Amino acid sequence: MWIRDLTRSIIAVFRSPSARIALLAAYYFAIIVALILMYAQGDFSSTDFVYQGF
Amino acid sequence: MRRFPHILAAASALAATAAGALTYTLYAQYTETKYVHAVAALDHASISRGIMIERTALRQPDLLLIYGASELVLLDTKYEATRFFSTYPTGFMIYNAASKGGSSLTVAQRLAALGPELRGRRVIFAIGPAIMTMAPFGDVAVRHYDANFSDLHAFELAFNPRLSLETKQLAARRMLDFPETLSGKPFLMFTMRSLSEGSPAATLLHYLSWPLGRLQIAILHLQDHYATVEYIHHLSAAEVAVVREPRDVDWDALLAAAESEQVANTDSNPFGVDNSQWPKIKELFVNPRPHGSRDADFINDVTIAREWNDLRLALRVIKELGADALIMSSPMNVPLWETIGVSEAAQNTYYDLLHEVVGPFDVPVLDGREWGRIPYFSMDLASHASRKGWIYVDQRLDQIYHRRLP
Repeated sequence: MWIRDLTRSIIAVFRSPSARIALLAAYYFAIIVALILMYAQGDFSSTDFVYQGF
Repeated sequence: MRRFPHILAAASALAATAAGALTYTLYAQYTETKYVHAVAALDHASISRGIMIERTALRQPDLLLIYGASELVLLDTKYEATRFFSTYPTGFMIYNAASKGGSSLTVAQRLAALGPELRGRRVIFAIGPAIMTMAPFGDVAVRHYDANFSDLHAFELAFNPRLSLETKQLAARRMLDFPETLSGKPFLMFTMRSLSEGSPAATLLHYLSWPLGRLQIAILHLQDHYATVEYIHHLSAAEVAVVREPRDVDWDALLAAAESEQVANTDSNPFGVDNSQWPKIKELFVNPRPHGSRDADFINDVTIAREWNDLRLALRVIKELGADALIMSSPMNVPLWETIGVSEAAQNTYYDLLHEVVGPFDVPVLDGREWGRIPYFSMDLASHASRKGWIYVDQRLDQIYHRRLP
């Protein structure tokens, strides 16, 4: 019974245009955050190398 | 907007991301400003290919930025400028942005990356005769250039609106001489190729890619901020403590002490070469050459050195960005070069060319020639400052900061 109520509630939320846009925005934002976490770390350290001088 | 829910949602997500990025940038700038003096006193090699901390250092009135090469970083001594000035004895401290294997081409990109922050700010470009006099064709070694190469610096140069197209084209052509640094980076390679080609179509392509370039730089800026903040967060309480102890500096006493230490560190040879460097060059001194016997080769090598063109490039960047820059050169190690057959007159070719190259750019030069015959000033043929040499350099930096020089 409660599952049916929950399903109805979720469907009702998705039928509301404002809520649908908000959920979509959250979904897109989550994708962006995931991309940032995957690729955010740059490498700005000097490369290890053997300085042989002159 | 109900007809375009995805567009509205995507715009909202992008706006939230932009707000987050802006907030983080402000936090990072606050952290960098708070701790830049601590970073100046530490080994900051792990963020040396970024730019944010250097931009922050540039804004500090009590930090003097120096760019250059191994002349400023090779010898581990308490007289090295960042250690010597670490307690702000005369009211300022050095931010040493020099790196082993650095060259004029590297410095040109680093200065370009400072962007508008550079206008009117005093920076020192410390150069030495090593590349011009000792490297094949007077050119920076590939491994040295590669190790110092930064995507961020390269993009900043290529998409810097304050640099002329001609300067960017010259830089791009030179940077393409080191293709390993661009391999696996298609957009950077495209940028350098379209700049270097110089045709109207290629130039148009470069300008069409401008928004993408600025976006790439914005992402690299965020990454740089993140790396810098992470570096700062990993410092201990002792490392971030900045001590300021003004005092009178007795330069003569320091010179005497440093010379004594340097003499003790040259006991492996009779030529005043530091023990750490002697094994690398001792073969050159097995059979000392007759006076002046290598003059012609030396003059030819110095004259054709590619480093001079790279220096011109760095000077173009300095002028176009309006920096209050100063060229400070290390001296030729005159007695040592004489021992291997190069007369002082021939060695002076380096200074002559230095002034010839820098002169048209109207940038002050302190060529260091007066230091060339000071015993134990340099610790090797490549003009790396010795312990004693560092005292002279420190004194000069002090004079420059306090506007007693040039």
